[in-house]
Amino acid sequence: MFRKLLAIAATLLAFPVIADDDVAALLRKADAYRLQERAARVETLVELYRGDALDKERRYTVYMKPGRRSLVLMRSPAEAGQKVLMLADQFWLLMPDTQRPLRITATQKLLGEASTGDISNMTWSEDYDGKVVDEKECPAPPASVSLSLNPSPAGGRGKPSASPLPPAGEGPGERARPRCLHLDLAAARPGVTYARIELYLDKASKLPVKADLYVNSGKRAKEAWYEAKTVDGQLRIMSMTLLDDIQAGRRTVVRYQSIVAKEAPDEFFNPAALVRNSLAGW
Amino acid sequence: MKRSLIAALFALSALAAQAGDFSASLSIAPEWRTDNHGSAYYVAPPVVPARHRSARQDLALRWRDGGFNAQGTLRVLAREGQAPEHHGIVNQFYYDGDLGNGSGYTLGKKVMSWGVGFGFRPLDVIQREDRRSLNPPPLTGVPLAAWEHFSADTAFTLAWTRPGHRHEATDFREQALAARYYRLVDGNDFHAVARLSRRHALEAGAGITHTSGAEWAFHAAALYQRRYGKALNTLAESGGGLLATANPMQGVTRRNGLKAVAGSQWTGTAGFGVLVEAWYDTEAYTRDEWRRLDALTASQRARAGFAPAAAIDGNVAWSSRAFERPNLLRENLLLRLTHDEERWKPALELLVTPRDGGRVLTTGLEYQGDRQRLNFGLRFLGGAADSAYAQAPAKRMAFFEWRLALP
Repeated sequence: MFRKLLAIAATLLAFPVIADDDVAALLRKADAYRLQERAARVETLVELYRGDALDKERRYTVYMKPGRRSLVLMRSPAEAGQKVLMLADQFWLLMPDTQRPLRITATQKLLGEASTGDISNMTWSEDYDGKVVDEKECPAPPASVSLSLNPSPAGGRGKPSASPLPPAGEGPGERARPRCLHLDLAAARPGVTYARIELYLDKASKLPVKADLYVNSGKRAKEAWYEAKTVDGQLRIMSMTLLDDIQAGRRTVVRYQSIVAKEAPDEFFNPAALVRNSLAGW
Repeated sequence: MKRSLIAALFALSALAAQAGDFSASLSIAPEWRTDNHGSAYYVAPPVVPARHRSARQDLALRWRDGGFNAQGTLRVLAREGQAPEHHGIVNQFYYDGDLGNGSGYTLGKKVMSWGVGFGFRPLDVIQREDRRSLNPPPLTGVPLAAWEHFSADTAFTLAWTRPGHRHEATDFREQALAARYYRLVDGNDFHAVARLSRRHALEAGAGITHTSGAEWAFHAAALYQRRYGKALNTLAESGGGLLATANPMQGVTRRNGLKAVAGSQWTGTAGFGVLVEAWYDTEAYTRDEWRRLDALTASQRARAGFAPAAAIDGNVAWSSRAFERPNLLRENLLLRLTHDEERWKPALELLVTPRDGGRVLTTGLEYQGDRQRLNFGLRFLGGAADSAYAQAPAKRMAFFEWRLALP
């Protein structure tokens, strides 16, 4: 009894004193699983599933640079030639037919539940701050998420994660679930894709497990589940599954097929230069 | 000439299959329209060919390798009562060269669209895109030589467009020197453009786009024209008789023109979007110019039985070219509602000309698959009985387009 009371008291005392700096450090650690490179080229495959059937897929090449700069080149036949540029909280879209960049918003969808912001931004530490609200068992991914995460990405060199996150329904008594830190994050600057994020990080490794993503109205827009794989000896987030609260049975899987350190020149991230630059060779 | 163009496009596609970045698409776009028999401007065939049914079939080819860019279209155009036409169109053919330190040059035929706005873009001084046409075909570029410089947040372009072209009476197919400066400041896009040509002298303008949060965007732009032109019916303007024996629609040049646009767009997280835009175009007709043309046309129609029908119809057909301009009146208001839902994108658009009570209602539905895109739309012209849009020779239009991205 005394031990239980001591544990509860310790829990109650521990979390309120986690300083903002510590949350920032947690987010930087979590970010490192998603994007370690200062500047990178990320080959991304987005798949939309209805039930267990693959309904549609799109390919993107994303160039990322410090200062919250991203350039998305759309590679699928239906979107060939389209580009999206993100500079902090500003977005531009270039349609090949018009050859003229248009201002768009961060919430504009690309495919399924994957918005422009989901594809072009892979870090939290620059955009969010908040607090650790509690520590609990890591949430169990729904069975549909486990299904979509099991196959290795095409051409992937990764091995399945060592992180033991059994899917829901496996039974709490059968297998001990890891502990997670539950963070409540608020947008630190205007114009970010989500106003609030409830983020679950594996307590031991700080590996992102799940995020509940909220829009400005306070409504939860979607939930994201993260899957890690060991790539070149390092544990990295190699896919993200987005589930829509409204449309059950649909899920969008964002697979990071390759992440390569690459720093494209600054002028490529100029909205007026979108028409000109093919980024061939980059 | 057409055959050689077509052969060149096929050769290009064969070459492109070997190297570079190649894409191709096939599209079929039939269009239907109904005549406005109640309009004084309606002229029956054969004086004005019937356009109830037409269809455009395009094989579009695009190739890029390094700085070389080529885009061409093989088109079959079928119109009611006419033999099919075959066209080989070079939409773009240019080379983008790199001079280092953020500078580059362009030589060739290129689409160069500038400025801000949805329904009207005053700063689009090179491309002059008609934003109000129904289901327009891919743009065709402008022959030019250009130098550009880009930094992280600025861009400057100096272009010599249509080198060697002599100016024509009523359009922009003349050689010109054009410049654009762009700067990104605190998330706002600032644009400034200038164009110098023999016919239009100096044109200069500026524009801005500002976004607020994740949902709101605002834009505004204005262009001053030292000289501008439009085609007016000399009989209507000068009162020199009722029927002409030669085309009375003559280009006139006037001083101190203004084109301006201002608008706001809201995009919600559920995919709904609302655009409100107003614009002013001095090159369009004033209400009084329409009244004079209406009066002339009514007088010409009243001569039926007293003058040869062919002379009356011919004169009215000349006057009806006033409806071919992108803006029928100077003052325009546009409301556009859209919903962007993964595969389906419905849109509803209302254009109003407040000076005469005219309106154009357009509905559209687009389906985007992995390789296929379907697009369907309806347009209704109407409003006050004496408004320009209500008197247009066409009353209703429908189009459908199926586009397939080839592997």
